[in-house]
Amino acid sequence: MIIANGKPIEEVLKSLEGHKKVAVLGCRGCVTVCLAGGEKEVGILASQIRMAREQAGQPVEVLEGTVERQCDYEYFEQVKDIIEEADAIVSIACGVGVQGVAETFPEKVVYPGLNTMFMGANLNVGVWAERCQGCGNCVLEISGGVCPVARCSKSLMNGPCGGSQNGKCEISKDVDCGWQLIYDRLSKIGRVDSLRNIIPPKDWSTSRDGGPRKLVREDLQLESGK
Amino acid sequence: MAGQVARLETFQPEIVAFCCENSGYLAAQMAIEAKLSYPQTVTLVKLPCSGRVDALFLLKALENGADGVMVLACQKENCKFLKGNVRAEQRIEATRKTLQRIGIQPERVAFCHLAANMGHKFVEEVRGLYGKLTELGPNPGKVRK
Ligand code: SF4
Ligand code: SF4
Repeated sequence: MIIANGKPIEEVLKSLEGHKKVAVLGCRGCVTVCLAGGEKEVGILASQIRMAREQAGQPVEVLEGTVERQCDYEYFEQVKDIIEEADAIVSIACGVGVQGVAETFPEKVVYPGLNTMFMGANLNVGVWAERCQGCGNCVLEISGGVCPVARCSKSLMNGPCGGSQNGKCEISKDVDCGWQLIYDRLSKIGRVDSLRNIIPPKDWSTSRDGGPRKLVREDLQLESGK
Repeated sequence: MAGQVARLETFQPEIVAFCCENSGYLAAQMAIEAKLSYPQTVTLVKLPCSGRVDALFLLKALENGADGVMVLACQKENCKFLKGNVRAEQRIEATRKTLQRIGIQPERVAFCHLAANMGHKFVEEVRGLYGKLTELGPNPGKVRK
């Protein structure tokens, strides 16, 4: 899922300076699961904004709403009223959701309430780690199910580099070397020999390097385009 | 009339106390039964475990008129749900930091460990927070006055 974390409250308050009626909008998708932008976090942020402004002598009205997913624009219908009433929106979905608000309500000011960080897994209570960078051309079949793009700091396809030491990456002793993980995994499944095959340069045009990406599936499209 | 003005000028801090039903709440009942005196502006909220407490509860209480909030949890290593009191304390620490960053004194949030038979400790803690809040004055962030 998409992992995000709350922006420092000072930053949110700065964006809201001068606004008198604000809507905080949550998302029941990924950000609810990673405890950053669900209904509860909407309540927490709304409360913080109200109290901060109250004590600063600049009271603000804060409306609260949460939709199923801010990346599926039809859900915005349910919160249309509060969005129209507010003079600014703080979306606490991932960046996709914030842009969803901007696209659906082009005349409204929208601010991000979270920093969207990565696509990752929940390793423990309160711990998340990056696992995929959405390169658009998955190579997990040759790397034993450990992503060299996301988990090697240099996204090497034929690692490890000379900086790998005692299983750790040279950037930090707290970061596992992705290629050590790949080696260990391939050993476990009896495929370490496959490391002899040199992987040709990866075509990065399917990744961010190819510019903004879009997926169109004709098998799913409707005639009306909706 | 003069009496009325004097009463308005006397600040009596409102406190919301979130109490674990296995300790804090029972201690409060004991204090009541033993007729121990403690400030009457305390509202008790019974929780199944202190671990049920959330930043949201504390913030909403402060926003909606409380001058201070407190969480009364079981003694260390003595939570019926094992780690509820540890979790509660972590959340309280985080809430205090949040409050500080929005200009509200973190001392408005109190936490204590106690057992069901410690009515006197309940009174002591409530009085302690009440005294601190009297010094701090009304919660500047409360929206509902
Ligand atoms: S808007 Fe973002 S956080 Fe919400 S469901 Fe969609 S991808 Fe996940
Ligand atoms: S190879 Fe690409 S698609 Fe596959 S996990 Fe890694 S980044 Fe994601």
